[in-house]
Amino acid sequence: KMAAGGGWAVMCEKFRAARTLSAVESRKDPETEPYRSKYSARALLQEVKQLLSAAEEGGEARLLAVRRAVLEYELGVNHTDTEELSAGEEHLQRCTQLLEPHRLSPDCVSLYIQAQNNLGILWSERDEIKTAQTYLESAEALYNQYMKEDGNPPLDPSEHFMAEEEKLTDQERSKRFEKAYTHTLYYLAQVYQHLEMIEKAAQYCHTTLKRQLEYCGYYPVEWALNAATLSQYYLSKQCFMESRHCLAAASVIFSQAGQVPSAEDNETEQDQQDLRQRKAEIARCWIKYCLNLLQSARKLLEDNIGELDPDRQLELKAQRRKEEDEKEKGRKKAVLFGTSDICDSVLAMEEKVSSMHPLDFQEAREIFLVGQNYVQEAKGFFQVDGYVTDHIEIIQDHSALFKVLAFFEEDYERRCKMHKRRIDMLEPIYADLNPQYYLLISRQLQFELADTYYEMMDLKVAIGNRLEELDSHTIKKINSLAQLAIKYYELFLDSLRNPDKVFPEELEEDVLRPAMVAKFHIARLYGKLITSDSKKQLENMQASLEYYTFLVDYCEKYPDAVRAVETELELSKEMVGLLPTRMERLRAKLCPFI
Amino acid sequence: SVEGDAIKVYVRVRPPSEGTVFIDGDQGLCLSVLSSHTVRLHSKPEPKIFTFDYVANMETTQESVFSSVAKNIVESCMNGYNGTIFAYGQTGSGKTFTMMGPSDSDNFTHSLRGVIPRSFEYLFFLIEREKEKAGSGKSFLCKCSFIEIYNEQIFDLLDSASSGLFLREHIKKGVFVDGAVEQVLSSAAEAYQVLTMGWRNRRVASTSMNRESSRSHAVFTITVESMEKNNEIVNIRSSLLNLVDLAGSERQKDTHTEGLRLKEAGNINRSLSCLGQVITALVDVGNGKQRHICYRDSKLTFLLRDSLGGNAKTCIIANVHPGSRCFGETLSTLNFAQRAKLIKNKAVVNEDTQGNVT
Repeated sequence: KMAAGGGWAVMCEKFRAARTLSAVESRKDPETEPYRSKYSARALLQEVKQLLSAAEEGGEARLLAVRRAVLEYELGVNHTDTEELSAGEEHLQRCTQLLEPHRLSPDCVSLYIQAQNNLGILWSERDEIKTAQTYLESAEALYNQYMKEDGNPPLDPSEHFMAEEEKLTDQERSKRFEKAYTHTLYYLAQVYQHLEMIEKAAQYCHTTLKRQLEYCGYYPVEWALNAATLSQYYLSKQCFMESRHCLAAASVIFSQAGQVPSAEDNETEQDQQDLRQRKAEIARCWIKYCLNLLQSARKLLEDNIGELDPDRQLELKAQRRKEEDEKEKGRKKAVLFGTSDICDSVLAMEEKVSSMHPLDFQEAREIFLVGQNYVQEAKGFFQVDGYVTDHIEIIQDHSALFKVLAFFEEDYERRCKMHKRRIDMLEPIYADLNPQYYLLISRQLQFELADTYYEMMDLKVAIGNRLEELDSHTIKKINSLAQLAIKYYELFLDSLRNPDKVFPEELEEDVLRPAMVAKFHIARLYGKLITSDSKKQLENMQASLEYYTFLVDYCEKYPDAVRAVETELELSKEMVGLLPTRMERLRAKLCPFI
Repeated sequence: SVEGDAIKVYVRVRPPSEGTVFIDGDQGLCLSVLSSHTVRLHSKPEPKIFTFDYVANMETTQESVFSSVAKNIVESCMNGYNGTIFAYGQTGSGKTFTMMGPSDSDNFTHSLRGVIPRSFEYLFFLIEREKEKAGSGKSFLCKCSFIEIYNEQIFDLLDSASSGLFLREHIKKGVFVDGAVEQVLSSAAEAYQVLTMGWRNRRVASTSMNRESSRSHAVFTITVESMEKNNEIVNIRSSLLNLVDLAGSERQKDTHTEGLRLKEAGNINRSLSCLGQVITALVDVGNGKQRHICYRDSKLTFLLRDSLGGNAKTCIIANVHPGSRCFGETLSTLNFAQRAKLIKNKAVVNEDTQGNVT
């Protein structure tokens, strides 16, 4: 008995040394011998294995099997670490075989799960994601079964080679066990992403984040950025409640980052700068949230010509009242982040902005204002000097916020002023921008400016139509807005020309639709210009006809283009049919004697 | 024209190292060049055919590589376009030979000099010709900078004392490295001198700070500024020529080229850091909805943002070694090169389809 006890102490000592070599020493190995410590660790583990089989006689079979499984596990990980996958697989397989009968008992379950995690990694390195998936999913199932049937903090694998007095506390055991399971979920998130099971991948990312919070295994900044990014996934799925929850949690957890003093306390300016940038990034995610919520509400509310439909509005309001209560509770439970104190702060943060579709101007304005505040915050960091692209993207979002708010505004004059605000923010930045380096942004700005002037012109026309007679001031306004819209559409079209100023014969796919729309809108704009001079009017009609004809001819030559501009094409064809007759009539009026 | 903006991809096959003798029938080679556009890779069970803009076989001369790859780009640089030439491939695939020339010789006069010295010569030849044509009305200013990106940090190779520079954007000048030394150039020989000096710095750095050159990207940038006086109007035009030596492709295993591998968490506390990448990937495939992703591009793609699509002329020279031992790396290089053809700047013109048509 004495001899066995002595042998046991040696085994424990060697086992511990192997783990230190593998985890700590190996990081200092020179590049020329990258696996030196791993190989030493392997040798030690093999020694322990031999000692163990020598002591086999008379030992308790189950205990021996479990200890052997621990060694097989360590050897398996060691071999995969050193790029010997087949050997690694053999060891890990042997480990799970030894444990199979006991896998639900507290001394084996954690080891078994970790062995399966490692088999999952191993198969993914062989590019066999499906096989990896089966191991990881079975690890997940085992965790759930164990928690249901037993639930006591299980032994950590390292404890099998520890003296009684060194054994871990229940709290520590539980922490390590939960961590192993968190890793299972984290690997599954990756597996599902590779298998393009996007929804499932998102769900597992979400759960991983949630567990990081619960078991305090996170860095606030990193966690907050992950949560903020996940919110953007929910946005693309129109899940506003989940999106808001992620963002609120991101903001709350991020605010912890500033409070925790860093390890060396002498934070560099660069660290501070990084922190400010991260904060601004989260603000930008909030902007997108507000924007999407408003745009999605607009989609619900608009009629067939893109105006606010009051009947629909009433209908949706009634419907919302009915659903409000049940909905909130049901969906939320599953995704809530954090322990109670964090949870309270997150809920308080959430209350600052709705996650329901705004249905009237007042509600829309509240969301707009929240978005606008985040625009200011984000712009504070992403200044044009140094962050041109980011700065302009934020301004474009600001403009988009105004645009969608204008949809909810019933007063046309006030709506027009909102569009003017867009012009005022976009025009100066466009004027400064060098298209040689920022061609795409430059095009986006040209197009948006054109569209905004176009929209303002339409509004002025609508206002004018309500009057008895168009006054000269309104006419001048309409004409000048139309001219400006034409100017920016033309600038956009010019940006498509090659260095020799020639317009492309065939348009590239990504600019096809905007280019055609620009042509179509210019055609319409020439039609809208108001003049009492018939000759001038004839010229405008001629210009209009040319642009309509472009669309028709282009689609005839490249039938693939038809899909992109079906409505516009139909109208253009109609106009190409009508305009010559009208022009003929006008000419006849001009020179009645010819 | 329609294919004008896409990245052009050239593949160059280097000859096997001297002393290696191959038996007839190309035993020991993992690929054969079928035409000046196609390569067949002897993969099993089925051979794979790759098509590129240009394939240079083992016999192709340095001069001919230069004329088919770089000439056009240098010319458009004179016309106010930005141009970029990337070299890509595993260590030993002939990148340095293609770009610089034979190692350890005076590459500026050597008959086997590479794409870079030839580009310098051609650029200054064009400048001189322009000057003669336009007389005193036109003047040129050429400047260069040379930086290295290692481990997502930027170092100035023209100022070995500096470290940790930052990328910034200027509304008129585009992306630039804040604080990088700019050296004025007056001739091709001078340009080559600056380049070799910087290149040496790169090697020095590789021993003193224990980094390997093949793990870093090096970007040599020439700014060509022309000033034309027409009566009272001064017309200034400027463009960039970027020559990029990418890190050895074998080093990028753990970043983009390997697709399916799971990221291990390991035992360290800060372990799940790639969760962000997974989430980003989920958002990336979103359906055109407005969204913001918190994670920035790498420094290299940010610096060359303009070169990857947009209004710049860009080409990639993918260098491969034909030996069958290099099969894996060659396959991954060819795959990368094929993907590169599809790179386009994704930003599109936001055209809000809503609103009234009638």
